[in-house]
Amino acid sequence: MNGVVVAETVRRCVTSIAYWAFVALLAIISLGLARFDRPGTAWPSLVSLLAYIIGCTAIGPEFSSGTLQLILTKPVNRSVYLVSRVAGVVSAIWIAALIAFSFELLGRVLWVGAVRLDIIGAILINTFVDTLLICALLVFFASFTRAYFNIVIYMVLMIGLGVAQGMVSMFRSMSGTLGAWLATHDIVDRILASINSNLFPDAPPRLDWHWLLMIASNAAIAIVAACFIFRRREVPYGAD
Amino acid sequence: MSRSLPRAERGVQVRALKKSFGSHAVLQGIDLDVAPGEVVGLIGPNGAGKTTLMSCLLAFLHPNAGEITIDGLPNDDLRVRRRTGFVPERMNFDRRATGYSFLRYMAGLARVGNRETKVRAMLERLGIAGAADRRLSQYSRGMLQRIGMCQALIHDPDFLFLDEPTSGLDPNGVLLVRDLIAEQKQRGAAVLLNSHQLAEVGKVCDRVFFLNRGVIGREETLRHADRIVIAITMLPGFDANAIARIAGNAPKENVVIATVETEADIAQMVREVIATGAGVIDVRKHTADLEGIFRGVA
Repeated sequence: MNGVVVAETVRRCVTSIAYWAFVALLAIISLGLARFDRPGTAWPSLVSLLAYIIGCTAIGPEFSSGTLQLILTKPVNRSVYLVSRVAGVVSAIWIAALIAFSFELLGRVLWVGAVRLDIIGAILINTFVDTLLICALLVFFASFTRAYFNIVIYMVLMIGLGVAQGMVSMFRSMSGTLGAWLATHDIVDRILASINSNLFPDAPPRLDWHWLLMIASNAAIAIVAACFIFRRREVPYGAD
Repeated sequence: MSRSLPRAERGVQVRALKKSFGSHAVLQGIDLDVAPGEVVGLIGPNGAGKTTLMSCLLAFLHPNAGEITIDGLPNDDLRVRRRTGFVPERMNFDRRATGYSFLRYMAGLARVGNRETKVRAMLERLGIAGAADRRLSQYSRGMLQRIGMCQALIHDPDFLFLDEPTSGLDPNGVLLVRDLIAEQKQRGAAVLLNSHQLAEVGKVCDRVFFLNRGVIGREETLRHADRIVIAITMLPGFDANAIARIAGNAPKENVVIATVETEADIAQMVREVIATGAGVIDVRKHTADLEGIFRGVA
Protein backbone atom coordinates (compact mmCIF):
# COMPACT_ATOMS: atom_id res chain seq x y z
CA MET A 1 0.00 0.00 0.00
CA ASN A 2 1.30 3.44 -0.89
CA GLY A 3 0.23 6.10 1.63
CA VAL A 4 0.86 8.93 -0.81
CA VAL A 5 -1.56 7.44 -3.36
CA VAL A 6 -4.21 6.64 -0.73
CA ALA A 7 -4.03 10.17 0.68
CA GLU A 8 -4.21 11.74 -2.78
CA THR A 9 -7.19 9.59 -3.75
CA VAL A 10 -9.06 10.56 -0.59
CA ARG A 11 -8.10 14.21 -1.11
CA ARG A 12 -9.48 14.18 -4.64
CA CYS A 13 -12.81 12.81 -3.38
CA VAL A 14 -13.22 14.96 -0.29
CA THR A 15 -12.26 18.21 -2.01
CA SER A 16 -15.15 17.80 -4.41
CA ILE A 17 -18.26 19.90 -3.80
CA ALA A 18 -20.36 17.11 -5.34
CA TYR A 19 -19.04 14.67 -2.73
CA TRP A 20 -20.05 16.90 0.16
CA ALA A 21 -23.40 17.68 -1.42
CA PHE A 22 -24.04 13.93 -1.61
CA VAL A 23 -22.84 13.43 1.98
CA ALA A 24 -25.10 16.28 3.15
CA LEU A 25 -28.03 14.59 1.40
CA LEU A 26 -27.11 11.31 3.09
CA ALA A 27 -26.97 13.01 6.49
CA ILE A 28 -30.36 14.70 6.04
CA ILE A 29 -32.02 11.48 4.83
CA SER A 30 -30.47 9.44 7.65
CA LEU A 31 -31.56 11.99 10.23
CA GLY A 32 -35.07 12.29 8.82
CA LEU A 33 -35.74 8.58 8.31
CA ALA A 34 -34.50 7.80 11.83
CA ARG A 35 -38.04 8.76 12.92
CA PHE A 36 -39.30 5.49 11.40
CA ASP A 37 -39.08 2.13 13.04
CA ARG A 38 -36.90 0.43 10.42
CA PRO A 39 -33.17 1.14 10.89
CA GLY A 40 -30.95 1.83 7.90
CA THR A 41 -33.91 2.61 5.65
CA ALA A 42 -32.27 4.38 2.75
CA TRP A 43 -28.68 5.42 3.41
CA PRO A 44 -27.04 2.01 2.70
CA SER A 45 -28.47 2.11 -0.83
CA LEU A 46 -27.30 5.69 -1.27
CA VAL A 47 -23.83 4.77 -0.05
CA SER A 48 -23.82 1.97 -2.65
CA LEU A 49 -24.77 4.57 -5.25
CA LEU A 50 -21.82 6.68 -4.08
CA ALA A 51 -19.62 3.58 -4.46
CA TYR A 52 -20.72 3.27 -8.10
CA ILE A 53 -20.04 6.94 -8.74
CA ILE A 54 -16.61 7.12 -7.10
CA GLY A 55 -15.54 3.51 -7.66
CA CYS A 56 -15.75 3.77 -11.43
CA THR A 57 -13.23 6.64 -11.43
CA ALA A 58 -10.41 4.71 -9.79
CA ILE A 59 -8.46 3.66 -12.89
CA GLY A 60 -10.40 3.94 -16.16
CA PRO A 61 -10.55 7.73 -16.55
CA GLU A 62 -6.90 8.03 -15.46
CA PHE A 63 -5.98 5.61 -18.20
CA SER A 64 -7.79 7.61 -20.85
CA SER A 65 -6.69 11.06 -19.71
CA GLY A 66 -3.01 10.17 -19.59
CA THR A 67 -2.64 10.74 -15.85
CA LEU A 68 -1.84 7.09 -15.35
CA GLN A 69 1.09 7.25 -17.76
CA LEU A 70 2.57 10.12 -15.77
CA ILE A 71 2.24 8.18 -12.53
CA LEU A 72 3.66 4.97 -13.96
CA THR A 73 6.97 6.73 -14.63
CA LYS A 74 7.32 7.12 -10.85
CA PRO A 75 8.76 4.36 -8.68
CA VAL A 76 5.39 2.85 -7.78
CA ASN A 77 4.59 -0.79 -8.34
CA ARG A 78 1.49 -1.08 -10.53
CA SER A 79 -0.26 -3.51 -8.18
CA VAL A 80 0.52 -1.33 -5.19
CA TYR A 81 -0.85 1.67 -7.06
CA LEU A 82 -4.06 -0.16 -7.95
CA VAL A 83 -4.63 -1.45 -4.40
CA SER A 84 -3.87 2.01 -3.01
CA ARG A 85 -6.38 3.61 -5.34
CA VAL A 86 -9.02 1.11 -4.20
CA ALA A 87 -8.13 1.82 -0.58
CA GLY A 88 -8.44 5.57 -1.13
CA VAL A 89 -11.77 5.30 -2.91
CA VAL A 90 -13.16 2.89 -0.32
CA SER A 91 -11.97 5.19 2.49
CA ALA A 92 -13.87 8.13 0.97
CA ILE A 93 -17.00 5.96 0.69
CA TRP A 94 -16.65 4.69 4.23
CA ILE A 95 -16.31 8.26 5.52
CA ALA A 96 -19.68 9.00 3.90
CA ALA A 97 -21.16 5.79 5.36
CA LEU A 98 -19.90 6.72 8.84
CA ILE A 99 -21.45 10.17 8.56
CA ALA A 100 -24.80 8.67 7.49
CA PHE A 101 -24.57 6.15 10.32
CA SER A 102 -23.80 8.90 12.85
CA PHE A 103 -26.75 10.96 11.67
CA GLU A 104 -29.06 7.96 11.97
CA LEU A 105 -27.83 7.45 15.54
CA LEU A 106 -28.37 11.14 16.25
CA GLY A 107 -31.86 11.00 14.76
CA ARG A 108 -32.78 7.96 16.83
CA VAL A 109 -31.58 9.68 20.00
CA LEU A 110 -33.53 12.82 19.07
CA TRP A 111 -36.77 11.31 17.72
CA VAL A 112 -37.04 7.82 19.21
CA GLY A 113 -34.95 8.02 22.36
CA ALA A 114 -33.59 4.49 21.93
CA VAL A 115 -30.73 3.24 19.76
CA ARG A 116 -30.51 -0.36 18.46
CA LEU A 117 -26.75 -0.19 18.04
CA ASP A 118 -26.49 -3.91 17.22
CA ILE A 119 -28.78 -3.59 14.19
CA ILE A 120 -27.50 -0.23 12.93
CA GLY A 121 -23.91 -1.34 13.57
CA ALA A 122 -24.52 -4.51 11.54
CA ILE A 123 -25.96 -2.41 8.71
CA LEU A 124 -22.85 -0.21 8.78
CA ILE A 125 -20.47 -3.20 8.65
CA ASN A 126 -22.50 -4.84 5.88
CA THR A 127 -22.42 -1.56 3.94
CA PHE A 128 -18.65 -1.35 4.39
CA VAL A 129 -18.13 -4.83 2.93
CA ASP A 130 -20.75 -4.38 0.21
CA THR A 131 -19.13 -1.15 -1.05
CA LEU A 132 -15.72 -2.81 -0.92
CA LEU A 133 -17.03 -5.47 -3.32
CA ILE A 134 -18.58 -2.84 -5.61
CA CYS A 135 -15.27 -0.96 -5.83
CA ALA A 136 -13.28 -4.16 -6.29
CA LEU A 137 -15.50 -5.27 -9.19
CA LEU A 138 -15.39 -1.83 -10.80
CA VAL A 139 -11.59 -1.82 -10.56
CA PHE A 140 -11.47 -5.34 -11.97
CA PHE A 141 -13.55 -4.28 -14.98
CA ALA A 142 -11.40 -1.15 -15.32
CA SER A 143 -8.23 -3.22 -15.39
CA PHE A 144 -8.99 -4.35 -18.95
CA THR A 145 -11.13 -1.48 -20.26
CA ARG A 146 -10.76 2.28 -20.39
CA ALA A 147 -12.73 5.40 -19.46
CA TYR A 148 -16.07 4.52 -17.83
CA PHE A 149 -16.64 1.16 -19.53
CA ASN A 150 -16.25 -0.52 -16.12
CA ILE A 151 -19.55 0.86 -14.82
CA VAL A 152 -21.23 -0.06 -18.10
CA ILE A 153 -20.05 -3.68 -17.79
CA TYR A 154 -21.08 -3.74 -14.12
CA MET A 155 -24.59 -2.49 -14.85
CA VAL A 156 -25.08 -4.72 -17.89
CA LEU A 157 -23.96 -7.73 -15.87
CA MET A 158 -26.13 -6.87 -12.88
CA ILE A 159 -29.24 -6.16 -14.94
CA GLY A 160 -28.50 -9.05 -17.30
CA LEU A 161 -28.30 -11.55 -14.46
CA GLY A 162 -31.60 -10.35 -13.04
CA VAL A 163 -33.24 -10.58 -16.45
CA ALA A 164 -31.74 -14.04 -17.06
CA GLN A 165 -33.10 -15.32 -13.74
CA GLY A 166 -36.52 -13.91 -14.54
CA MET A 167 -36.51 -15.51 -17.99
CA VAL A 168 -35.51 -18.91 -16.62
CA SER A 169 -38.43 -18.73 -14.14
CA MET A 170 -40.77 -17.71 -16.95
CA PHE A 171 -39.65 -20.51 -19.28
CA ARG A 172 -39.90 -23.06 -16.47
CA SER A 173 -43.55 -22.22 -15.92
CA MET A 174 -44.29 -22.60 -19.64
CA SER A 175 -45.20 -25.85 -21.31
CA GLY A 176 -42.86 -27.32 -23.86
CA THR A 177 -39.49 -29.04 -23.94
CA LEU A 178 -37.50 -26.13 -22.52
CA GLY A 179 -39.98 -25.60 -19.68
CA ALA A 180 -39.92 -29.29 -18.84
CA TRP A 181 -36.14 -29.42 -18.97
CA LEU A 182 -35.78 -26.38 -16.71
CA ALA A 183 -38.32 -27.79 -14.28
CA THR A 184 -36.26 -30.94 -13.84
CA HIS A 185 -32.83 -29.25 -14.01
CA ASP A 186 -32.62 -26.48 -11.45
CA ILE A 187 -28.85 -26.19 -11.92
CA VAL A 188 -29.28 -23.24 -14.31
CA ASP A 189 -31.29 -21.43 -11.65
CA ARG A 190 -28.77 -22.26 -8.97
CA ILE A 191 -25.78 -21.11 -11.06
CA LEU A 192 -27.43 -17.80 -11.90
CA ALA A 193 -28.53 -17.27 -8.30
CA SER A 194 -25.06 -18.13 -7.04
CA ILE A 195 -23.35 -15.68 -9.43
CA ASN A 196 -25.87 -13.01 -8.50
CA SER A 197 -25.48 -13.48 -4.76
CA ASN A 198 -21.69 -13.49 -5.06
CA LEU A 199 -21.32 -10.44 -7.27
CA PHE A 200 -24.38 -8.36 -6.43
CA PRO A 201 -25.41 -9.49 -2.96
CA ASP A 202 -28.31 -8.26 -0.87
CA ALA A 203 -26.99 -7.50 2.59
CA PRO A 204 -28.63 -9.47 5.40
CA PRO A 205 -30.45 -7.43 8.05
CA ARG A 206 -28.13 -8.63 10.80
CA LEU A 207 -24.49 -9.47 11.23
CA ASP A 208 -23.70 -12.66 9.32
CA TRP A 209 -20.05 -13.59 9.45
CA HIS A 210 -20.38 -16.17 6.67
CA TRP A 211 -21.84 -13.54 4.37
CA LEU A 212 -19.19 -10.99 5.35
CA LEU A 213 -16.43 -13.50 4.73
CA MET A 214 -17.87 -14.51 1.35
CA ILE A 215 -18.19 -10.91 0.16
CA ALA A 216 -14.77 -9.92 1.48
CA SER A 217 -13.24 -12.98 -0.26
CA ASN A 218 -14.96 -12.10 -3.53
CA ALA A 219 -13.65 -8.54 -3.27
CA ALA A 220 -10.14 -9.85 -2.58
CA ILE A 221 -10.32 -12.18 -5.60
CA ALA A 222 -11.50 -9.32 -7.83
CA ILE A 223 -8.65 -7.07 -6.63
CA VAL A 224 -6.01 -9.78 -7.08
CA ALA A 225 -7.31 -10.52 -10.59
CA ALA A 226 -7.30 -6.79 -11.38
CA CYS A 227 -3.70 -6.49 -10.18
CA PHE A 228 -2.68 -9.48 -12.30
CA ILE A 229 -4.21 -7.97 -15.45
CA PHE A 230 -3.10 -4.40 -14.70
CA ARG A 231 0.53 -5.40 -14.14
CA ARG A 232 0.89 -6.61 -17.72
CA ARG A 233 -1.43 -4.12 -19.34
CA GLU A 234 -0.07 -1.74 -21.95
CA VAL A 235 -0.85 1.90 -21.35
CA PRO A 236 -0.36 3.62 -24.71
CA TYR A 237 0.85 7.16 -24.28
CA GLY A 238 -0.84 9.79 -26.36
CA ALA A 239 -3.39 7.29 -27.63
CA ASP A 240 -6.48 9.27 -26.64
CA MET B 1 16.19 13.55 -2.31
CA SER B 2 19.12 11.66 -0.94
CA ARG B 3 21.80 11.34 -3.61
CA SER B 4 22.92 8.01 -2.27
CA LEU B 5 21.64 6.60 -5.58
CA PRO B 6 24.39 5.79 -8.05
CA ARG B 7 24.90 8.17 -10.95
CA ALA B 8 24.08 7.00 -14.46
CA GLU B 9 26.87 4.78 -15.69
CA ARG B 10 25.73 3.13 -18.88
CA GLY B 11 22.76 5.28 -19.83
CA VAL B 12 19.95 4.08 -22.07
CA GLN B 13 20.56 1.18 -24.44
CA VAL B 14 18.09 -0.09 -27.01
CA ARG B 15 18.84 -3.13 -29.13
CA ALA B 16 16.85 -4.51 -32.09
CA LEU B 17 13.60 -3.11 -30.73
CA LYS B 18 10.46 -4.15 -32.58
CA LYS B 19 6.89 -3.21 -31.83
CA SER B 20 3.78 -4.01 -33.81
CA PHE B 21 0.11 -3.25 -33.37
CA GLY B 22 -1.64 -6.18 -34.99
CA SER B 23 -0.10 -6.57 -38.44
CA HIS B 24 1.21 -2.99 -38.46
CA ALA B 25 4.91 -2.94 -37.60
CA VAL B 26 5.58 0.45 -36.00
CA LEU B 27 9.16 -0.11 -34.86
CA GLN B 28 11.26 -2.38 -37.02
CA GLY B 29 14.54 -2.96 -35.23
CA ILE B 30 15.66 0.16 -33.42
CA ASP B 31 19.16 0.45 -31.99
CA LEU B 32 20.09 3.51 -30.02
CA ASP B 33 22.16 4.60 -27.05
CA VAL B 34 21.99 7.64 -24.85
CA ALA B 35 25.13 8.00 -22.79
CA PRO B 36 25.25 9.73 -19.40
CA GLY B 37 25.78 13.45 -19.87
CA GLU B 38 24.48 13.31 -23.43
CA VAL B 39 21.41 14.94 -24.96
CA VAL B 40 19.99 12.93 -27.85
CA GLY B 41 17.25 14.18 -30.10
CA LEU B 42 14.60 12.06 -31.74
CA ILE B 43 13.04 13.56 -34.82
CA GLY B 44 10.91 12.25 -37.61
CA PRO B 45 7.66 12.83 -39.47
CA ASN B 46 4.25 12.08 -37.96
CA GLY B 47 3.67 8.34 -37.74
CA ALA B 48 7.39 7.57 -37.76
CA GLY B 49 7.10 5.75 -34.42
CA LYS B 50 8.60 8.36 -32.10
CA THR B 51 5.79 8.17 -29.53
CA THR B 52 5.76 4.38 -29.69
CA LEU B 53 9.51 4.33 -29.12
CA MET B 54 9.15 6.70 -26.19
CA SER B 55 6.31 4.55 -24.80
CA CYS B 56 8.47 1.42 -25.06
CA LEU B 57 11.38 3.16 -23.35
CA LEU B 58 9.11 4.21 -20.49
CA ALA B 59 7.65 0.67 -20.24
CA PHE B 60 4.14 1.82 -21.17
CA LEU B 61 4.26 -0.65 -24.06
CA HIS B 62 5.82 -4.10 -24.23
CA PRO B 63 8.10 -4.60 -27.24
CA ASN B 64 7.54 -7.64 -29.46
CA ALA B 65 11.28 -8.18 -29.73
CA GLY B 66 14.51 -6.55 -28.69
CA GLU B 67 15.88 -5.26 -25.46
CA ILE B 68 15.77 -2.01 -23.53
CA THR B 69 18.12 -1.54 -20.63
CA ILE B 70 18.76 1.52 -18.54
CA ASP B 71 22.03 1.39 -16.67
CA GLY B 72 21.99 -2.35 -17.29
CA LEU B 73 18.57 -2.85 -15.68
CA PRO B 74 15.23 -3.56 -17.38
CA ASN B 75 13.38 -0.32 -18.09
CA ASP B 76 10.40 -1.29 -15.88
CA ASP B 77 12.58 -1.89 -12.85
CA LEU B 78 11.52 0.34 -9.94
CA ARG B 79 15.18 1.24 -9.30
CA VAL B 80 15.27 2.69 -12.80
CA ARG B 81 11.98 4.53 -12.38
CA ARG B 82 13.29 6.12 -9.23
CA ARG B 83 15.92 7.77 -11.41
CA THR B 84 13.69 8.55 -14.40
CA GLY B 85 11.98 11.80 -15.28
CA PHE B 86 9.35 12.18 -17.99
CA VAL B 87 7.74 15.28 -19.45
CA PRO B 88 4.67 14.43 -21.54
CA GLU B 89 3.64 16.60 -24.44
CA ARG B 90 0.40 17.44 -22.66
CA MET B 91 0.00 17.44 -18.92
CA ASN B 92 -3.11 15.65 -17.73
CA PHE B 93 -4.01 15.57 -14.11
CA ASP B 94 -6.88 16.32 -11.76
CA ARG B 95 -7.52 19.93 -12.79
CA ARG B 96 -8.94 20.74 -9.35
CA ALA B 97 -5.52 20.21 -7.77
CA THR B 98 -3.35 23.25 -7.21
CA GLY B 99 0.10 23.41 -8.77
CA TYR B 100 1.63 22.99 -5.35
CA SER B 101 -0.47 19.97 -4.32
CA PHE B 102 0.11 18.29 -7.70
CA LEU B 103 3.84 18.72 -7.39
CA ARG B 104 3.81 17.59 -3.78
CA TYR B 105 2.01 14.41 -4.85
CA MET B 106 4.51 13.76 -7.63
CA ALA B 107 7.39 14.38 -5.22
CA GLY B 108 5.79 11.94 -2.80
CA LEU B 109 5.53 9.26 -5.49
CA ALA B 110 9.16 9.89 -6.43
CA ARG B 111 10.10 9.55 -2.76
CA VAL B 112 11.69 12.96 -2.58
CA GLY B 113 12.96 13.87 0.87
CA ASN B 114 12.34 17.33 2.33
CA ARG B 115 9.40 17.66 -0.01
CA GLU B 116 8.07 21.10 0.97
CA THR B 117 11.37 22.86 0.39
CA LYS B 118 12.11 21.00 -2.81
CA VAL B 119 8.65 21.67 -4.27
CA ARG B 120 8.84 25.40 -3.46
CA ALA B 121 12.35 25.59 -4.93
CA MET B 122 11.27 23.87 -8.17
CA LEU B 123 8.25 26.15 -8.56
CA GLU B 124 10.54 29.12 -8.02
CA ARG B 125 13.08 27.78 -10.51
CA LEU B 126 10.46 27.27 -13.20
CA GLY B 127 8.97 30.71 -12.59
CA ILE B 128 5.53 29.60 -11.44
CA ALA B 129 5.87 30.10 -7.68
CA GLY B 130 3.25 32.87 -7.90
CA ALA B 131 0.72 30.42 -9.31
CA ALA B 132 1.50 27.62 -6.85
CA ASP B 133 -1.84 27.89 -5.08
CA ARG B 134 -3.90 28.23 -8.23
CA ARG B 135 -5.79 25.24 -9.60
CA LEU B 136 -4.34 23.50 -12.64
CA SER B 137 -7.57 24.31 -14.48
CA GLN B 138 -6.49 27.96 -14.36
CA TYR B 139 -3.04 27.25 -15.79
CA SER B 140 -2.16 28.18 -19.35
CA ARG B 141 -0.64 25.60 -21.70
CA GLY B 142 2.81 27.03 -21.04
CA MET B 143 2.34 26.93 -17.28
CA LEU B 144 1.24 23.29 -17.48
CA GLN B 145 4.36 22.57 -19.49
CA ARG B 146 6.47 24.25 -16.82
CA ILE B 147 4.85 22.24 -14.05
CA GLY B 148 5.43 19.15 -16.17
CA MET B 149 9.11 19.99 -16.16
CA CYS B 150 8.96 20.52 -12.39
CA GLN B 151 7.55 17.05 -11.72
CA ALA B 152 10.12 15.45 -14.01
CA LEU B 153 13.11 17.18 -12.45
CA ILE B 154 12.11 17.27 -8.80
CA HIS B 155 14.01 14.11 -7.92
CA ASP B 156 17.15 14.97 -9.95
CA PRO B 157 16.65 12.13 -12.45
CA ASP B 158 19.55 10.44 -14.17
CA PHE B 159 17.46 9.55 -17.21
CA LEU B 160 15.24 12.22 -18.64
CA PHE B 161 12.64 11.65 -21.37
CA LEU B 162 11.19 14.83 -22.82
CA ASP B 163 8.31 14.84 -25.27
CA GLU B 164 7.95 18.24 -26.91
CA PRO B 165 9.00 20.07 -23.72
CA THR B 166 8.89 23.52 -25.33
CA SER B 167 5.45 23.07 -26.86
CA GLY B 168 3.21 25.97 -25.80
CA LEU B 169 6.04 27.87 -24.10
CA ASP B 170 6.80 31.55 -24.60
CA PRO B 171 10.38 32.55 -25.62
CA ASN B 172 11.39 32.93 -21.95
CA GLY B 173 10.08 29.44 -21.27
CA VAL B 174 11.97 28.03 -24.26
CA LEU B 175 15.21 29.58 -23.00
CA LEU B 176 14.50 28.26 -19.50
CA VAL B 177 13.95 24.72 -20.79
CA ARG B 178 17.16 24.99 -22.81
CA ASP B 179 19.04 26.00 -19.65
CA LEU B 180 17.44 23.19 -17.66
CA ILE B 181 18.44 20.61 -20.27
CA ALA B 182 21.99 21.98 -20.21
CA GLU B 183 22.00 21.69 -16.40
CA GLN B 184 20.82 18.08 -16.53
CA LYS B 185 23.50 17.27 -19.08
CA GLN B 186 26.10 18.95 -16.86
CA ARG B 187 24.84 16.85 -13.93
CA GLY B 188 25.48 13.72 -15.96
CA ALA B 189 21.90 12.84 -16.86
CA ALA B 190 21.13 10.99 -20.09
CA VAL B 191 18.48 13.05 -21.91
CA LEU B 192 16.27 11.90 -24.77
CA LEU B 193 14.37 14.71 -26.46
CA ASN B 194 11.48 14.07 -28.79
CA SER B 195 10.68 17.24 -30.70
CA HIS B 196 9.42 18.59 -33.98
CA GLN B 197 11.25 21.86 -33.49
CA LEU B 198 14.41 21.22 -35.47
CA ALA B 199 16.06 24.50 -34.47
CA GLU B 200 15.57 23.66 -30.79
CA VAL B 201 16.93 20.16 -31.27
CA GLY B 202 19.94 21.61 -33.07
CA LYS B 203 20.66 23.91 -30.17
CA VAL B 204 20.47 21.44 -27.29
CA CYS B 205 21.27 17.99 -28.66
CA ASP B 206 24.65 16.30 -29.01
CA ARG B 207 23.29 13.70 -31.39
CA VAL B 208 20.11 13.27 -33.36
CA PHE B 209 18.33 10.14 -34.53
CA PHE B 210 16.09 10.51 -37.56
CA LEU B 211 13.26 8.04 -37.25
CA ASN B 212 11.24 7.19 -40.33
CA ARG B 213 8.76 4.36 -40.87
CA GLY B 214 9.93 2.59 -37.73
CA VAL B 215 13.64 2.57 -38.49
CA ILE B 216 16.51 4.90 -37.67
CA GLY B 217 17.04 6.51 -41.07
CA ARG B 218 20.12 8.41 -40.01
CA GLU B 219 22.17 9.34 -36.97
CA GLU B 220 23.88 12.71 -36.90
CA THR B 221 26.43 13.91 -34.39
CA LEU B 222 25.93 17.63 -33.83
CA ARG B 223 28.65 18.28 -31.31
CA HIS B 224 31.21 16.43 -29.28
CA ALA B 225 31.84 17.06 -25.63
CA ASP B 226 35.59 17.31 -26.09
CA ARG B 227 35.92 18.36 -29.73
CA ILE B 228 34.98 21.33 -31.87
CA VAL B 229 33.54 20.89 -35.34
CA ILE B 230 34.29 23.80 -37.69
CA ALA B 231 33.24 24.72 -41.21
CA ILE B 232 35.79 26.62 -43.36
CA THR B 233 34.40 28.34 -46.45
CA MET B 234 36.87 29.12 -49.24
CA LEU B 235 36.89 30.91 -52.55
CA PRO B 236 36.74 28.62 -55.61
CA GLY B 237 40.01 27.39 -57.06
CA PHE B 238 41.54 25.79 -53.94
CA ASP B 239 43.62 22.60 -53.93
CA ALA B 240 41.02 20.04 -52.86
CA ASN B 241 43.56 17.28 -52.16
CA ALA B 242 45.70 19.49 -49.95
CA ILE B 243 42.65 20.74 -48.06
CA ALA B 244 41.39 17.18 -47.57
CA ARG B 245 44.79 16.18 -46.17
CA ILE B 246 44.75 19.04 -43.66
CA ALA B 247 41.11 18.82 -42.60
CA GLY B 248 40.76 15.03 -42.74
CA ASN B 249 37.62 15.54 -44.86
CA ALA B 250 37.11 16.24 -48.53
CA PRO B 251 35.61 19.68 -49.20
CA LYS B 252 32.06 19.76 -50.53
CA GLU B 253 31.37 22.70 -52.82
CA ASN B 254 33.44 25.44 -51.17
CA VAL B 255 33.16 24.19 -47.58
CA VAL B 256 35.27 21.78 -45.62
CA ILE B 257 34.18 20.38 -42.27
CA ALA B 258 36.93 19.60 -39.77
CA THR B 259 37.15 18.45 -36.19
CA VAL B 260 39.67 19.98 -33.81
CA GLU B 261 40.29 19.72 -30.10
CA THR B 262 41.03 23.29 -29.04
CA GLU B 263 40.50 26.82 -30.28
CA ALA B 264 44.27 27.09 -30.88
CA ASP B 265 43.89 24.17 -33.30
CA ILE B 266 41.33 26.21 -35.27
CA ALA B 267 43.87 28.99 -35.82
CA GLN B 268 46.54 26.46 -36.78
CA MET B 269 44.28 24.73 -39.28
CA VAL B 270 43.24 28.02 -40.88
CA ARG B 271 46.93 28.97 -41.24
CA GLU B 272 47.65 25.62 -42.96
CA VAL B 273 44.65 26.03 -45.31
CA ILE B 274 45.76 29.54 -46.26
CA ALA B 275 49.30 28.21 -46.82
CA THR B 276 47.94 25.98 -49.63
CA GLY B 277 46.87 29.14 -51.45
CA ALA B 278 43.17 28.84 -50.64
CA GLY B 279 41.21 32.03 -50.01
CA VAL B 280 39.47 31.56 -46.67
CA ILE B 281 36.36 33.74 -46.45
CA ASP B 282 34.57 32.28 -43.42
CA VAL B 283 35.34 30.09 -40.43
CA ARG B 284 32.59 29.16 -37.99
CA LYS B 285 31.67 26.51 -35.50
CA HIS B 286 29.65 24.01 -37.43
CA THR B 287 25.99 23.27 -36.78
CA ALA B 288 24.35 20.58 -38.81
CA ASP B 289 21.60 21.58 -41.19
CA LEU B 290 18.90 19.50 -39.53
CA GLU B 291 16.23 20.81 -41.82
CA GLY B 292 18.19 19.72 -44.88
CA ILE B 293 18.89 16.31 -43.38
CA PHE B 294 15.25 15.94 -42.31
CA ARG B 295 14.07 16.70 -45.84
CA GLY B 296 16.47 14.09 -47.14
CA VAL B 297 15.41 11.37 -44.71
CA ALA B 298 11.67 12.07 -44.51
